[in-house]
Amino acid sequence: MQSNQTFAELFRARGVSRRDFLKFCSLTSVYLGLSPSMVPSVVHAMENKPRTPVLWLHGQECTCCSESFIRSSHPTIEDLLFNMISLDYDDVLSAAAGHQLEAVRKNIMKEYKGKYILAVEGNISTKDDGVYCMVGGDSFLNIIRETAADCAAIIAWGACASFGCVQNADPNPSGSKPIHEVIKDKPIVKVPGCPPISEVMTGVVAHFHTFGTLPELDRFGRPKAFYNTRIHDKCYRRAFFDAGMFVRSFDDDATRKGWCLYKMGCKGPTTYNSCSKIQWNGGTSFPIGSGHPCIGCSEPNFWDRGPFYKRLAEVPFLGSDSNADRIGMIAVGAAAAGAAAHAAVTAVKKTKEEKHEKE
Amino acid sequence: MGRLIEEIYVWRLPVRFYHWVNAICTVLLLLTGLYIAGPVLNPPLGEAVWYKGMSWWRYVHFAVAFIFIANFLFRMYWALFGNDKYGRFGGFRPWSPSWWGQPFREQVESYLFLRSDEPNYVGHNPVAALAHFLFIFCGSSFMILTGLAMYGENNPGGFTGTLFGWLLPLFGGSYTLHFSHHLMAWIFPLYLVVHLYAVFRHDIVDRTSVTSSIVTGFKHKVEEEPV
Repeated sequence: MQSNQTFAELFRARGVSRRDFLKFCSLTSVYLGLSPSMVPSVVHAMENKPRTPVLWLHGQECTCCSESFIRSSHPTIEDLLFNMISLDYDDVLSAAAGHQLEAVRKNIMKEYKGKYILAVEGNISTKDDGVYCMVGGDSFLNIIRETAADCAAIIAWGACASFGCVQNADPNPSGSKPIHEVIKDKPIVKVPGCPPISEVMTGVVAHFHTFGTLPELDRFGRPKAFYNTRIHDKCYRRAFFDAGMFVRSFDDDATRKGWCLYKMGCKGPTTYNSCSKIQWNGGTSFPIGSGHPCIGCSEPNFWDRGPFYKRLAEVPFLGSDSNADRIGMIAVGAAAAGAAAHAAVTAVKKTKEEKHEKE
Repeated sequence: MGRLIEEIYVWRLPVRFYHWVNAICTVLLLLTGLYIAGPVLNPPLGEAVWYKGMSWWRYVHFAVAFIFIANFLFRMYWALFGNDKYGRFGGFRPWSPSWWGQPFREQVESYLFLRSDEPNYVGHNPVAALAHFLFIFCGSSFMILTGLAMYGENNPGGFTGTLFGWLLPLFGGSYTLHFSHHLMAWIFPLYLVVHLYAVFRHDIVDRTSVTSSIVTGFKHKVEEEPV
């Protein structure tokens, strides 16, 4: 595979017709949220621009992002895109291993200095010089610093690299950090989710390839095209929420009828993602569609916002797990008890004073 | 004890108006807010399209919230520019060490039963002023800002979302914002308990008819007790 091939050339080499290629371009521009008039720019970029080299690094993670990326229901389209981005280094997917693979990484860093994209999957362990995550004999902390130095932009795949997932949940023994807390001088696109939707992942890469710039980002650095609205806003069960029809336990009649999972701890109202729009596995379903409340995996520190099956988070309070209502009630109760005690003391004092006056 | 020697007009109409609108709004907001967090009513029978069970509670919460905000802004205007000796921010200077001096200490000591006499104020005493600042000014501001940030989430990129959306990253996400709003809502019932106790106690101990003053506007000055 030549590294300077364009997307269109690769399509042709793989026996994909021109019609399918244009379909793919239209589909990509729809995913990117572009107007129909932008389709020619996408086609032009796919035909003329050499493929963007991508170095895909894996830190402390479970590889679920890669799984999502490769396991799609449109293999002809997405497998090609997977090849098209010229994925030059991926220690999970590459056929080569060891020194050969490390040489490829070093080579790309030299050859495409300032042009390649660094895709990061996973947290970066920072405690004790990052010894809790070693890749190829060096700490992942060093590798990420070295590779990020000459990249054009960073894509943070998944909850780990974007915000920090289970590794940096409290108490975070390995001092794990998301990428933006380690690399501060490079543009970063966060593609959170555990894992993110595959169409979202390919859409971000296609946008960079088409326009040479990062997609428009929201306040958290996530692409607006995919993370602008909450799961709740586009949820097909929203009508049940508005009507006040809720599932109360996982074996009740409401579960069978597919009512709203709000009372089962659904984090849809506070989670920004495209699950209820694009859905998963080629539009087959998504968690709420399968009867499970959203756990908010694309939101910052979602492991510490638990439990998953309760609407109101439990927080440590006076050495025990509590929630906002219990803390509030204790405070109000304490105030009432304090007022009662104060009233009693006032009454005693007054009585004494009156007695004293009489004498 | 002293006898009634004078009537003083303490709470002018804007202050009384604010007080009662605020009181009603706070109770409604607390009840609807708690319901939204934990909808307890049984679901209706039939199809979802026929009902507005949850959206009605949310509608009331949002509508009352905007009345609450307008009322709060009105009170802020009155506190800053109103021609009102007892309703102004004028005397409240927590940044100046002198404000924490003798009057404040006397009032705290009185509340802690460390003094035998009860200091008397026509308007708010310094401890009450501090409590109002913390609970009502800071508390309301917090609830208004977090509330508007969450309201803006309904329409990303819209007017409210653009103006108040910066609170989302500040709080570390939508969920934490919701949680903080929920937790801080409890300061209002907490304040209600303390406020009602303080009012009734002062009315009984000082006999200045402070309870009815928020309806009539008048307090009654009582003759000093001969020492």
